[in-house]
Amino acid sequence: MSQREIQRQSPWPHRLAVLLALVTFPLIWVGGLVTTYDAGMAVPDWPGTYGYNLFAYPWTTWVAGPWDLFIEHGHRLLGATAGLVAIALVIVTFLTEKRTVIRFAAAGALVLVVVQGALGGARVLLDARLVAMIHGCLGPAFFAYLAALIAATSCRPPSSERTAAPVSTLGPLARTAWILAALACGQLILGAVLRHIPYGATPQVFRIALVFHLVVAAAVVLQVGWTAVQAWPVGRQFRGLRSPSLALLALVALQIVLGLATYVAKYSWPAWFGDYQFAAAYVVEERSLHQALVTTAHVAGGSLILFTAVTLAMRSSLAAVSGESRAPSAHSQPASPFSALLWKRRTAL
Amino acid sequence: MNRSLLILLAATAGGVALAGCGSPAAEYRRYETFAHKAAQDAGIEKLKASQLSEVDDLLAAFYGTPDEPAIPAVEDADIASVLSLPLLQMAAGPVGSDEQGRPRGLYREHCAHCHGITGDGNGPTAAFLNPYPRDYRPGKFKFKSTPVGGKPTHADLKKVLLEGVAGTAMPSFKLLTDIEVEALTQYVIYLSLRGETERELIRMQAELDLDSEPNARLVNIVTENATDEERQLQQEQMAAVKEKIATVVNKWTGAMDASVEIPPRPEMTPEELVESRKLGRTLFYGSIANCVKCHGDSALGDGQLTDYDDWTKEFIGEGKDPEVVAQYVALGLPEPRNIRPRNLRMGIYRGGMRPIDIYWRIRNGIEGTPMPAATMKPDGDPNAKGLTPDDIWHIVNYIESLPYESISNPNDAAERALERMRM
Repeated sequence: MSQREIQRQSPWPHRLAVLLALVTFPLIWVGGLVTTYDAGMAVPDWPGTYGYNLFAYPWTTWVAGPWDLFIEHGHRLLGATAGLVAIALVIVTFLTEKRTVIRFAAAGALVLVVVQGALGGARVLLDARLVAMIHGCLGPAFFAYLAALIAATSCRPPSSERTAAPVSTLGPLARTAWILAALACGQLILGAVLRHIPYGATPQVFRIALVFHLVVAAAVVLQVGWTAVQAWPVGRQFRGLRSPSLALLALVALQIVLGLATYVAKYSWPAWFGDYQFAAAYVVEERSLHQALVTTAHVAGGSLILFTAVTLAMRSSLAAVSGESRAPSAHSQPASPFSALLWKRRTAL
Repeated sequence: MNRSLLILLAATAGGVALAGCGSPAAEYRRYETFAHKAAQDAGIEKLKASQLSEVDDLLAAFYGTPDEPAIPAVEDADIASVLSLPLLQMAAGPVGSDEQGRPRGLYREHCAHCHGITGDGNGPTAAFLNPYPRDYRPGKFKFKSTPVGGKPTHADLKKVLLEGVAGTAMPSFKLLTDIEVEALTQYVIYLSLRGETERELIRMQAELDLDSEPNARLVNIVTENATDEERQLQQEQMAAVKEKIATVVNKWTGAMDASVEIPPRPEMTPEELVESRKLGRTLFYGSIANCVKCHGDSALGDGQLTDYDDWTKEFIGEGKDPEVVAQYVALGLPEPRNIRPRNLRMGIYRGGMRPIDIYWRIRNGIEGTPMPAATMKPDGDPNAKGLTPDDIWHIVNYIESLPYESISNPNDAAERALERMRM
């Protein structure tokens, strides 16, 4: 697709994808709060709320009601809002977008919203922690999917304006960013296992999940560092690559602090801090606001890292595709398997 | 569009598949470590599976299940004074709440991830915590106002729930409502009663003489065609089981007003307080209180570091044979850890920060740990060895001054404390 064609495309699919992401991030927060407060069963029926249609449930009962009911019903309303935005996205994309891959991607977003809603319903109707865990994993995965959709529908794909595209440098960056996204995704799954661990599980199960969570955290830190190292020189020629890599550095630093704070807020300081007075005097407060916020912020931070990693991966892959399509003779092979997929699709258009 | 249809179909199929993924009903975990120990004590290799199943069945009959708890129906115990079924039902079962915010499943929401569904202190997170979460089943609780060997009062347990235990993963539940804390307190007692009953029944099973009567049971099953003699025997067996349960329950009901009475802390002038602390210091290092033995010369909690708590020693004994340890760890005993005496120079006391809490720890000891109860001087015998209540207050006063005492030059601590008070 030429620059002129890109400029001619409707901005609305992109705008709606951004809007959907803006709705989804608070949805992840509230979903995290539902898990933190164990409020998933505060409304025992689904898809209605205490016999009412979801939207017809008296708002005064909801707002003035118990906290668990407030966040669970609020989570459902936000989820329904995401569904409505996803429907609008599909309609607008099918009306304005000619690229089949984008049309399918928009439809895929709606399918994911529907599946996620169904999983939420199954979690309530079955009262099953396993389903809650899958529901908790699919939320961030959907958020990451939106990152890819936002990048793909963008009217300003990352491109080199100053020099001939050094596609060879984009391929490794794209690969590194995709690996980072995969690691972040795995880390979210491990986090979900820790949060939704069955009550009857043995300590060994939790031990394994926690040790893996720490190991993968270290891998994510290293990968984020490596991504930044790769993105910095490439970002000189391609706009939109440096900012996500810098954001990743900041987010990972914040996430480490939040992870440690979550442990302390839930389980107090580890025993080896016991000789320090601040640790010996610390009393965990169950259901305190700071405990809930820190824990939920850690969950949301993980989603944001995944989102940013996918954004960087998509942008570098798209930039690689863009460079390859403009200079096919210089680089007859795509820079990465991901760009290969996009390269095929774009050249087929 | 065909592809979209396929995706939708796949999602629907996934949803249908997940319909079979409902949580299985929660189950109590069997007391494997104690079953092994009881068998060893009785000189048999292990209890038969049928014996353990009978224990499970009897426990279910008297105490119900994690989702539907029951209060054991025994005539010789006033169990209603310690347990209320509606509150147990609020604490038991899956987590949830109704439109008015009335909760259910409180124990699973707040406690089970550390203490386990059974209250065996072996929930999913237990291995990472130090100290390990309490195992309720032996019925021993550390921080209480009653003497060693006795059960805690209701108020003792509630205090731990409300205040938490500083420096450990045991949280404070003060943000929960009164009724929620009450429900959790009663559920802890319920799990403890169930655990102690399990121990008694396992012990009874281990004592059955299976050599002469291979099919012996604690309570025989009688059929419709059973003779009067067989029915009579079964009733006697059931009565024996109920008697054991009543014994367990009565220990709890009897503890409700068994707090050790404490004479009020003597009113003191600053000069008297300094003198009291000096006396307390002498007692701390003396042979009667002998606090120094475990808390160390500098009261840093480094006097002894190789002992274990009773929950561990019950199984691994004093020998610390690695094979025995491995055997019990495989059966579910947490990896043994040495228990560490309190560092008194930090001024943080896990059982409570009030002077009366420190008094109780010295007077009653700490159940299940090497911290012994004070040897008290018998009334009317001034020459007998032991401590008086005033002596204990002297030690309390000294302990409260320890965070301000210089380790390198403790002798001037009392004078400096006096100066501080005058300022």
